[in-house]
Amino acid sequence: MNNYNVILMLCNWGAHSAYQTLQDTGAEIPPEISMVRIPCTGRISKSLLFKAFEMGADGVALVGCEPGTCRYGSGTAAAIENTGDMREILDLLGLGKDRLRLATFLPDDSEPLLQFLKDFCSEIRALGKSPVKHVKAAKPEPATKKALSDIVSSHDVFACQDCGKCTSACPLTLAGKQFSPRALAGSIIAGDIDSPEVQDDIWACLTCGLCYDRCPSAVNFPEFIRDLRHFSKQRNLDGHEAHGGFFQSLMRAMTSSGLKARRWDWLPDNIRIDNESKILFFGGCAPYFDIFFRSHLGVETCNIITDSLRLLNFFDIRPALLQDERCCGHDLLWSGDKDNFLKLARLNVDLIHSLGVEEVVTACPECYRTLVHDYNEYGVKLNCKVTHIYDLLETEIDKGAVDFKKIDKKLTFQDPCRLSRFEQREDLPRMLLKRLKPGGFQEMSDKGSAAICCGNSAWTGCDSFSKALQVKRLRQAKETGSNLLVTACPKCQIHLQCAMEDPFLGEELKMEMMDLTGLLAKTIYWE
Amino acid sequence: MTDKQKKKKAKKEVIITGFGGQGIIMAGRIIGMSAALGDHMHSVFTQSYGPESRGGACSAQVIISDAQIHYPYVMRPDILICMSQGGYDKFISEIKQEGILLIERDLVRPGALKRNFFSIPATRMAEDLGRKMMANIIMVGFCVSVTKVISKDAALDSVAKSVPKGTEEVNIRAFNKGYDYGLAILKGRGKKAAGQTGVTG
Repeated sequence: MNNYNVILMLCNWGAHSAYQTLQDTGAEIPPEISMVRIPCTGRISKSLLFKAFEMGADGVALVGCEPGTCRYGSGTAAAIENTGDMREILDLLGLGKDRLRLATFLPDDSEPLLQFLKDFCSEIRALGKSPVKHVKAAKPEPATKKALSDIVSSHDVFACQDCGKCTSACPLTLAGKQFSPRALAGSIIAGDIDSPEVQDDIWACLTCGLCYDRCPSAVNFPEFIRDLRHFSKQRNLDGHEAHGGFFQSLMRAMTSSGLKARRWDWLPDNIRIDNESKILFFGGCAPYFDIFFRSHLGVETCNIITDSLRLLNFFDIRPALLQDERCCGHDLLWSGDKDNFLKLARLNVDLIHSLGVEEVVTACPECYRTLVHDYNEYGVKLNCKVTHIYDLLETEIDKGAVDFKKIDKKLTFQDPCRLSRFEQREDLPRMLLKRLKPGGFQEMSDKGSAAICCGNSAWTGCDSFSKALQVKRLRQAKETGSNLLVTACPKCQIHLQCAMEDPFLGEELKMEMMDLTGLLAKTIYWE
Repeated sequence: MTDKQKKKKAKKEVIITGFGGQGIIMAGRIIGMSAALGDHMHSVFTQSYGPESRGGACSAQVIISDAQIHYPYVMRPDILICMSQGGYDKFISEIKQEGILLIERDLVRPGALKRNFFSIPATRMAEDLGRKMMANIIMVGFCVSVTKVISKDAALDSVAKSVPKGTEEVNIRAFNKGYDYGLAILKGRGKKAAGQTGVTG
């Protein structure tokens, strides 16, 4: 009896013939192998590759046709790219890149295929069982009227005056989508949660919080949506996840306590870290983003982390890092998976407490909001101060003796919703922006707490209207006459970059983007 | 270093100069008071009387020593703090070669001065904190971190006791502002000397 689980994803065309020969001749295929026939290796996206690992696979072999023999031309090339990126992600996550292999065989290569399978299985046995434990979805709970009305009353949605200010402010509505927070609230109050329109709207909401900002009855619509998503997920309804649900899978995999991540191996050598420090730097998921989006967006959100660490070093602060740092859980919480969010929260909080740090510094607005607010709200108490790096930098810069080099660019600023609206700190990045010496600074027509969303949040519900509103936002940025769009959240960069890749409007929308930490790190100097 | 030399080193003469109304006298008094009451040193404080209180040049002189002080006037200052151009012009020639010069950046133009000095925009910082008249307290904080002539705790204590009732908190904030600025300047100079002016890497 073996308890290993190796998934073989096998291309229907060339390699499958070789496998069939093995079956026909009764060859000894290692028993841990479960074969899945696929149409082409190129169609196995990163999210599908990872899904196998999330579900507890100890190894995954993607086996297809040699380059040049692909039935569809470019399938093998796509598979090479996907597995390459995925192997790096597995390394970061601590699973190890050797658990994923891509191999190609011609139809009559049955012997080499058998040898490959045997070698791969013995390699996996040497690596041991995967530390990721599959989190089985709980049994769907029946939708009780009471559970729904509890959500409605806990957010006092009854206070809705039907005034429609939310709908007239909603960036999705203004981008032309048939979407109305007010109508949605009305439907839910009436007990309608299952109709497809309502379900679509629950997952389409950006949770950007503009409607809450405008609501005269202070109905916290984003948190209402958050709880409705959880309610829907408990009943195993589809969550409309973007990117094939990859990021949710990744975060769920991180809830396995046996996983020993290697998050910081990529850090440049000249960054000074002190693991005895009382200040901890919480990095966030940027390293994963950069690998995942490398081939089609080329974003460099890791720079936010390195620039933040360099700025800390500049002020002689050598922070500690959490080797096993997990995702803060923000996106799981906001895409309906409260249980796994709580697991991540507990793991992170235990790790942070075990280091005995007094202050956690983060450069990500979502991590900041989650650590400072949501952990406590959900009963996972973090016994130390949480500081956004802008606060720390503002205090240090305010002490004096530092100045900023001139930048020959005109700036404008994209507000991050979690910092500017949820935590009401729109003034914070602006204090730092005022210290810079750019060729000019011009706010967009919607700014601060009224700023328009970058297009998406929590990796869910991305559609053509998300794109429409990104286009609108980038046009606003262009209208300011600026040539550098300053961002303060890795996701703003990812989403706005995505809109700039548009084949029709891309050229018109293209604009240089830089994170505020990068701009500070590039220009700051001791007087 | 022998005890005798140490004793000799432990005498510091300070002159603070500026306009009447800037709080020059109070700054001198705070420094002297901190040395005597907080740091248990001997200190002597004298002030120049006269038309100063009506807006002219004004100065305060403090001597701090760990031995008895026999002569109360400053001969050549170890530390010269200038908060006005007039005061600067009058006293600059008297400062010791190895003395430390502190100036208010916006009010004093040192010209082609060939010596090291520290400057701080104390008045502007005080305005940012809401009271222009706290420039003197900021200057005291700056002086404490740059020269270490008195201890920070002693200085904070005297500031709290000397300022008008009800303004202690904001004055302590002013003191810390100047103190932190001094630390930042020292740190910046250290970095510069080590050739690390910008963010590394």
